[in-house]
Amino acid sequence: MIKFIFKGLIRDKSRSLLPILVIMIGVFLTVGMTGYIRGFIEDFVDQNARLQTGHVNVVTKAWAENESMMPLDLALLGVDTLLTELQTDFPGYRWSPRIRFGGMLDVPDENGESKKQGPVMGMAVDLLSGNTDEIDRLNLKTALASGHIPREPDEVMIGEELAKKLELKPGDKVTFIGSTMDGSLTFQNLVVSGTIRYGVRQMDNVVMLLDLRQARSILDMEDGATEILGYSKQGVYSDEEAGKVRDAFNAKWSGSEDDFVPVMRRLRDEPTLGYYFTYINSFSGMMIFILILIMSIVLWNAGLLGGLRRYNEFGIRLAMGEEKGHVYKMLLYEALFTGIIGSVVGTAFGVAFTLFLQYKGIDISGMIQGGTMIMPNVIRAKFSPDLLSIGFIPGVIAMLIGNMLSGIAIFKRETAKLIKELEI
Amino acid sequence: MNKKIIEIEDLVKRYPMGEAEFTALKRINLTFEKGEFAGFVGPSGSGKTTILNIIGSLDTPTEGRVSVEGEDVSHLSEKASARLRKEHIGFIFQSFNLLPVYTVFENVELSLLLLKQSAAARKKAVTQALEWVGLQDMARKKPPQLSGGESQRVAIARAIVKRPNIVLADEPTANLDAENAHIIMRTMQRLNEELKTTFIFATHDEKVMQYLKRKIHLLDGYVDKDEILESNTVES
Ligand SMILES: Nc1ncnc2c1ncn2[C@@H]1O[C@H](COP(=O)(O)OP(=O)(O)OP(=O)(O)O)[C@@H](O)[C@H]1O
Ligand SMILES: [Mg+2]
Repeated sequence: MIKFIFKGLIRDKSRSLLPILVIMIGVFLTVGMTGYIRGFIEDFVDQNARLQTGHVNVVTKAWAENESMMPLDLALLGVDTLLTELQTDFPGYRWSPRIRFGGMLDVPDENGESKKQGPVMGMAVDLLSGNTDEIDRLNLKTALASGHIPREPDEVMIGEELAKKLELKPGDKVTFIGSTMDGSLTFQNLVVSGTIRYGVRQMDNVVMLLDLRQARSILDMEDGATEILGYSKQGVYSDEEAGKVRDAFNAKWSGSEDDFVPVMRRLRDEPTLGYYFTYINSFSGMMIFILILIMSIVLWNAGLLGGLRRYNEFGIRLAMGEEKGHVYKMLLYEALFTGIIGSVVGTAFGVAFTLFLQYKGIDISGMIQGGTMIMPNVIRAKFSPDLLSIGFIPGVIAMLIGNMLSGIAIFKRETAKLIKELEI
Repeated sequence: MNKKIIEIEDLVKRYPMGEAEFTALKRINLTFEKGEFAGFVGPSGSGKTTILNIIGSLDTPTEGRVSVEGEDVSHLSEKASARLRKEHIGFIFQSFNLLPVYTVFENVELSLLLLKQSAAARKKAVTQALEWVGLQDMARKKPPQLSGGESQRVAIARAIVKRPNIVLADEPTANLDAENAHIIMRTMQRLNEELKTTFIFATHDEKVMQYLKRKIHLLDGYVDKDEILESNTVES
């Protein structure tokens, strides 16, 4: 009997091909979009971690409370000791002290008179110690728009938009004006060695990148840093693992009432990022739900139409003595079969699309013009094994639901009525 | 030839019609013996299809008792009535109702599939049924490639392939021309004689009536006249 049903299914294209196509497209969209969103999150997280937050970061409690003001006077001191401690306690992580600070850049003309001025955000990282991993971490070689990466202590790189605004090019001299850790005014002559471009306003428009040791001397904060960023040696951010590290570290310091006690935070604790995380996760969940809903409705209607066309067949089978329940069961088998085929093909296409994005990527740098978040330039997707089921199961379920609904509409009617309608 | 195969006692069928009810069958009392070649005749709306459907357990009586093959169809569960149809009753409809995506062979085979017969038994029975109706060469064709007369002959083969005791035929010739109507009727007459299958028709077609050995006249839900016409054998 099942063979008989499948013969009909295969011969009647409107019964097989159409639903398979609908399921295929739905499943493809679900899988492809999910892969894409996952990849997007991962890239987004990765780039934020590299440029700004680390997988985890250590700051003083007081700094954490006033972070938006970048208060240098609340920075960490005794960084070397803290670093050694971190390295022993958490060998799975690499630790990088950085300083973020505000100030002004002054561009002098030939006579030494001030020609242009603009605010900058200083970002001091280890560039010159000889065994630094920050150059790779910040993708400086890729981000380099002109000139070269600093080789001397007084060389700095600035964001490309900032360079344009101040009409600077590699080799130009500038003066940094700011305040030291204890609040006195400080001036420092520097040379622009190159410009960088990340495609992110937050970096390109304001940043001045310089060596950590140089910054410490300008800002008069020997052995200080505003933050120490931690990066998992596995390279990938994991909420759970970062949370464990954070809790272990904070537990150790929990006794202290001092405002300058170090506290650790993980990437997700950053409010905007945390929000994005939740938002994107619920967004993808909702999208899958909506797709299932749409697929079910389309299939329900396709099923209803198909059912109407097959009234005749159902009526005859009933007259021949097939039980209603059996006819219904066979209808669901058909649905299962077409649902599985559509889902398999849709999943295959979705995974192929995801893998394509994962390995090739699509450059969208032209499309994002300076958002405030740090967004990746190249759209990449991320394959993970659950993509195999994320569209497949909903696809099959949608097909079953669609057919169940249309089937019920038919089989709620009395056999006699079905036969009567058949007779006309 | 006197085994009672169908017994109808005080059958009443009422259909709800909004607030009121419409009585389609009014106290019908009839019996049929095995091997009859009978028909309900009468004007449109007199209740022919209704009574045929009740005998075939596609519909249920409102009052009274109808027993088919000793089973009371007024109280059969959906399962039991399906089994009765599957095992004992063949239907022939006015509009052939063949399944277009299946071949002639597969259309005829369907009722044997429901009976879970083996492939070999099915092949033998289907081939024979197609021979009875003279369509052995058309087994691999699909219904859209057949003429009306051929289609109805396939429907007959489908109804009798499982050797049911009763075949119910509702206006089997309505969509056929005179020549094909006669071919069909002669085929069924022959099957009635050879297989002793009971045939019950519903018709207002004179061509069908000529072949009937018993004419039950229905009028507004009553049996108006019950004629036995043993002599009514048509030149074959
Ligand atoms: N489901 C129903 N609901 C209400 N009335 C019905 C229903 N089915 C049939 N009837 C009525 O019952 C009467 C008998 O119908 P039936 O179909 O048995 O007539 P018939 O003799 O087969 O007519 P025809 O020769 O036109 O096929 C008709 O008046 C019809 O309108
Ligand atoms: Mg009728």
